[in-house]
Amino acid sequence: MAGAVAIEALVAPSVVETRSILRQLSGNRKFMVGFFIFMGLLVASVVGALILGPVALRSGAFAPRLGVGTPGALLGTTSLGQNILAQLTQAIPNSMMVGLVAATIGTVIGAALGLTSGYFGGKVDAALRVLIDVFLSVPSLLFLILISSLLRGLSVVAIAVIIGLFAWAWPARAVRSQVLSLKEQPFVQVGLLSGLTGLEIVAGELMPHLVPWLGANFINAFIGAILTESGLAILGLGSQKDMTLGGMIYWSLNYGALLNNLWWWWLTPVVVLIVLFGALYMMHLGLDEVANPRLRTQS
Amino acid sequence: MVTFWRYVGERLIICLATIALSVTIVFFAPRLVPGDPLGAVTLKLSQMGGNRGSPELVAEYTRRFGLDKSPLEQYGSYLRQMTQGDMGYSIASFPSTVGDLLKNALPWTVGLLLVTTIISWTLGSVIGGLVGWTGGRSPVLQALVPVALVLYTIPYYILAIMLVFLLAFFWPIFPITGAYTIGAQPSLTPGFVVDVLHHAVLPALSIVLVSLGWWFLSMRSLIVSVKGEDFMTWAEAKGLPQRRIFWGYAFRNALLPQATGLALSLGHIVGGALVTETIFGYPGLGYLIFNSIKTLDYPVIQGSVLLIIFAVAIVNFILDLVYPLIDPRIRYGAAART
Repeated sequence: MAGAVAIEALVAPSVVETRSILRQLSGNRKFMVGFFIFMGLLVASVVGALILGPVALRSGAFAPRLGVGTPGALLGTTSLGQNILAQLTQAIPNSMMVGLVAATIGTVIGAALGLTSGYFGGKVDAALRVLIDVFLSVPSLLFLILISSLLRGLSVVAIAVIIGLFAWAWPARAVRSQVLSLKEQPFVQVGLLSGLTGLEIVAGELMPHLVPWLGANFINAFIGAILTESGLAILGLGSQKDMTLGGMIYWSLNYGALLNNLWWWWLTPVVVLIVLFGALYMMHLGLDEVANPRLRTQS
Repeated sequence: MVTFWRYVGERLIICLATIALSVTIVFFAPRLVPGDPLGAVTLKLSQMGGNRGSPELVAEYTRRFGLDKSPLEQYGSYLRQMTQGDMGYSIASFPSTVGDLLKNALPWTVGLLLVTTIISWTLGSVIGGLVGWTGGRSPVLQALVPVALVLYTIPYYILAIMLVFLLAFFWPIFPITGAYTIGAQPSLTPGFVVDVLHHAVLPALSIVLVSLGWWFLSMRSLIVSVKGEDFMTWAEAKGLPQRRIFWGYAFRNALLPQATGLALSLGHIVGGALVTETIFGYPGLGYLIFNSIKTLDYPVIQGSVLLIIFAVAIVNFILDLVYPLIDPRIRYGAAART
């Protein structure tokens, strides 16, 4: 039995690992700056929505085409008399939710398929690789255009789910190649020798090494999902019920905000999107540095 | 030779699977949506001033679309039509066929994408290569790195909107919308060509700038990693001129993965161009899709989407076969693209 204990000690660093990842992240300046901007946007929208109240959201609550700095509608109003600041308090959390839901679905499916494909190899791997390559080679925006042009009147969550179902190919391929190299590491052999099953090795041995790295991928998918949703929205395929940042751009373009010099209307969602992408990108860079220590020495 | 054919076979399977999958999704997706497909069509017809709901009309449509047959038979005849390139009629601009509309839109998209991709890939590779090569020695070139990072993170359409505002509205240097002046007769006269180019500048610029950032960054990091190779030290030791080492050794070697990246990014560029076209009212496939969405013209959406998916799948397949020819390090093995 004494020998078994020694091997266990060799095998299980997972808890320590997770904690040290969190510590490393909180010490990473890029990640924290991005994280605070992101949370700042979210908190500001939630608080803003509470202060402004549901009445401010109605079209016609204000006079149309008011400029920036109007009391009660600090960022001006649309041609329909909607308060742009109030719209923003809905659009920011909705866009973030699209990212969260789609990235979660994409990462979970992708990680599961990538782990299966990479760890078990053989025929399973061959079949999954074809599937992954197929989904990589088609622009998923096109499938999404098809599907959402049929399913009108979707909620923003439903759109996020559909985007997520088409967002697993990159993580799957990346996880697969990561697993292929991890598989050859000695600790996996030790795990096999100590009688762990395939599933236990995947969950207990491989996953902890993939976590920071999956995190970076998750943020990437998050950015990609918001990008996709905004693209769909600008094509007129966004949710008709819930406002998102892309939806705000669509309506502003639709009412000719560009040509009528209602710059506050289109510029507001555009600037917020850029800030949001910037924040997410900083978080991505930070996670990348934690996942890939070699990058830290370069910068 | 056996590995070669295995490789070709595998790539062909992927190409065919892509096409089969998209054709199947396109066929079944409308049928999974609750609601009567004919209801939507006849409603559309009535909105266009047609006769809605007369039983003869519904019966005729049921027969014409084969809706009286089993789904499997319908799928079969749909596949037969597909192979003949018959995608049916447009609902919104009846009696134009989907094929006609696609034929008119395709040259604009292909032209725009081809030119912008070549420009941004070449410019990005050369500038990125130079920046990677000079490293910290040239602060001016180094200052381009954050610029490229910003361009890379900005979505296509956001840059497009800003360009429209700055260069078409605020300083009206370029036309705001369209591919040529409304009313101009498309012809090969110098005046018309200049007009087309004038209209293409803004859409092209927005695509070039965004994808430029990516090519720049990837080429820069490729050159940096090539710099550490043994053959670079060897070339230095031989006393070759710097210019020769850069172009003949570093640049050439880094160019190959860059070519791979070009193929992989194809789908991404197409997707970006669709939204860009919409913003500029550029009469390519993206704008066609946008207008079909507005008019609920499902056959046209379906045809455009399928056309692009087919094109991307086939181009990817061809590029897969070409890589090993240009890069001897990629063997016709299973791991060719990982």
